[in-house]
Amino acid sequence: MPSETPTQQSAPKGALAGVKVLDFGWAIVGSLTGKFLADHGAEVIRVESASRPDMTRVDRRYSKSSLSSLDDKPWFAHLNTSKYSLSLDLKNPRSREVLDRLIGWADVVNENFTPGTLQRLGLDYDYMTTINPDIIFVSGSLFGQTGPLAQEWGIDGTGAAISGRLNLTGWPDRIPITPSSGIYGDYVVPLMNATAVVAALAHREKTGLGQYLEASMFEVTAQQITPAVLDWQSNGRLEGRTGNRVANASPHGVFPCAGEDRWCAIAVFSDHEWTDFVSALGDPDWAADSRFATLEARKANEDKLERLVAEWTSSRDPHEVMTYLQEHGVRAAAVQGPEDIIDNDPQLRERGFLQTVDHAVLGPFGHQTPPFKLSATPAQLRPAPNMGEHNEYICRELLGLSDPEYIELLLEDVFR
Amino acid sequence: MNKGLLNGACALDLTDETGFVCGKVLGDLGVDVVKVERPGGDASRLIPPFHQDVPGVERSLYWKAFNTGKRGVTLDIEKPAGAEVFRQLVKRADFVIESFEPGYLEQIGLGFDVLRAINPKIVLVSITSFGQTGPYSHYKGSELISLAMSGVLNNNGDPDRAPVKESLDSALFHAGIAGATGAVTAYYHAVLSGAGQQVDISVQEVGASRLTSSILAWDLERVTLVRDGHKSQMGPTSSDWFWACKDGHLFWHMLGGAFGAPANKALSDWMDEYVKDNPLRDVEDWMKFDKAGITQEQWDRFAVAIRPFFLRFTKDEIREQSLKRGINATVANDPHDLLESEQLRARGYWTHLNDPVLGDLEFPKYFFQARDTENFSRSAAPQLGEDNEDIYRNELRLTSEQIDELRTTHAI
Repeated sequence: MPSETPTQQSAPKGALAGVKVLDFGWAIVGSLTGKFLADHGAEVIRVESASRPDMTRVDRRYSKSSLSSLDDKPWFAHLNTSKYSLSLDLKNPRSREVLDRLIGWADVVNENFTPGTLQRLGLDYDYMTTINPDIIFVSGSLFGQTGPLAQEWGIDGTGAAISGRLNLTGWPDRIPITPSSGIYGDYVVPLMNATAVVAALAHREKTGLGQYLEASMFEVTAQQITPAVLDWQSNGRLEGRTGNRVANASPHGVFPCAGEDRWCAIAVFSDHEWTDFVSALGDPDWAADSRFATLEARKANEDKLERLVAEWTSSRDPHEVMTYLQEHGVRAAAVQGPEDIIDNDPQLRERGFLQTVDHAVLGPFGHQTPPFKLSATPAQLRPAPNMGEHNEYICRELLGLSDPEYIELLLEDVFR
Repeated sequence: MNKGLLNGACALDLTDETGFVCGKVLGDLGVDVVKVERPGGDASRLIPPFHQDVPGVERSLYWKAFNTGKRGVTLDIEKPAGAEVFRQLVKRADFVIESFEPGYLEQIGLGFDVLRAINPKIVLVSITSFGQTGPYSHYKGSELISLAMSGVLNNNGDPDRAPVKESLDSALFHAGIAGATGAVTAYYHAVLSGAGQQVDISVQEVGASRLTSSILAWDLERVTLVRDGHKSQMGPTSSDWFWACKDGHLFWHMLGGAFGAPANKALSDWMDEYVKDNPLRDVEDWMKFDKAGITQEQWDRFAVAIRPFFLRFTKDEIREQSLKRGINATVANDPHDLLESEQLRARGYWTHLNDPVLGDLEFPKYFFQARDTENFSRSAAPQLGEDNEDIYRNELRLTSEQIDELRTTHAI
């Protein structure tokens, strides 16, 4: 496979320039962990295999994606920007000649295989420290690397169920609905993994020591419902699903607007905010009713209040509601759909939420940038690699394999 | 064992609930996080629920949950004397974390340029609903407002009702973690280069960051994914993710090919024991089953049989059979299930933090585990002004007269 030496001289240095990452990450958690590091300047080598490709390299739900290619999948492109790809058959014993050199080269190893997988391949943390004693190694998993459920597997919905989030999402009179339209932990856990890795890099600068790190979706996302865990212990209460209502605000909900399936959100917390809201509505007679005079009263008459608010919103455009109420100091928003956020949202556009990247096969399209913006060292995205695109660069230039060595490994079918 | 990975670093945390989690993560990493509140306490100390349902500034379970591992001082940074103390604190800090309206710190003379002049390596982490710049940056926000604007809410809920949020604050939690990633990345860069910078987090943008499915469907196909209740639309077909059982709910999702084959077959075999015309039986080879290629009608035929099947069983029965048969069904936990989870117990996830008001309630101990450092929550959330004496007298070396002066002018 032809490969070109990547050129990056013109790009400004990222915060993690000089950090070397050996990336076995896959699916969403593993891919994003490496992406966050790569977009901020780390040199990330994604080790993958055409014989067992990542599910996002075979995902065919978009018309641009073919059956025959591993390089035309938008999901993979989004999740693997700025990385290099090395295709390597880990089951081939001679892959070790490349891997051992990479372990020596790397500062960081990222992986999220089912717990025990790397151990079975003889590539666990303990082995790696024999080659590179101060390596930083991070594992991501669903349940954790230890404990009775360590070997169980799952996806994001599994995480929603076990963390307690599922039972806290939806309407009190119905079964729970899918939280976060399907995917949450898959996006939160890689941020935690990246945080742990970079903290370990800072720790190594100070102490010279490496580190073994592991995060589970179960444990990271269960933290989110801690108020409910304390409420249970302190008050014996399982509040359950509360729809869009919260105890300390009213009205606090989603209201119908003009148009097909259009909605707005309004949140009124203090009595002062209530006054602003009522005045924005033009001081209607009903708002002076004692049933709505205090937060307590508004909570007690919330059904009625919500119907009255809906009467006001239902003839209006959601963005018009937002602009008008915000001008009056009211917390209000349009419930935005994908067209709104991608094509029309001036705020997300100003922040560079999507960055146009020219993908080798798919052409230029908007790629997601990391959801944290650094003022002096902003993220720089390069297109996701094709399978094995950088085999030659990595083996020859980074690892210093000679021509005959490289060709011999090629003939041994190591790079598949 | 060493304390956390960032032991020795110091952070000033001026956030309300928009940014609590960022400082909590840093605290777990060993950073000395000092919560700086206005005298009298932040409004966020009054977020319900309360301990024993009695409201009070030391009783908010929400506040207690997300401020563990921090110390606390009171300080009015709008008063000249308070601002001077704040500048002294900034001198010895590595991070300042804040969630004020953009421009507020500049207005009171404590913007990033001022902080950087005091301490060139300072990392300022700003976590707000919409971010520091742009046309919506001054809009008032909240969990619900940011979620609505992010695109997440639109996809959440039953098709016959309004979009609906998670009952707790998923977007603020996610934003706090993103803030920690940005903070630590900027800190690492500051350690090497000597130069700090500002980390800008928008809760709206963080929410939108998890919408890859919706973004690609619209960007590439001009398709808006539907709001489909307990299902999830990952391709042309919307398939059920969550199901009711006799006494609760569970997750079971059909995956295609080799990934899903063992679990799909195991469920089909189990259903055979109870269901006469089991539609899953019609699949001849689960290894070759192309889930992405099935039609909505075909999925619905499966779902109609699976739905009453799961309803036959209790949570305990499903847990047991799932493990025994390899069905990969996961029962939805309630808070007390989490406290009793053998998996979490075995890993030492829960800890007592000896809160003087809450007593011995259990808290999560960590976000991640490490082999050679302890990245743990070590203390309960601070009482109002709990560490004033320690920090102002013992660490900043203010004299009794200076401290009295601050008290009389209500700066602390």
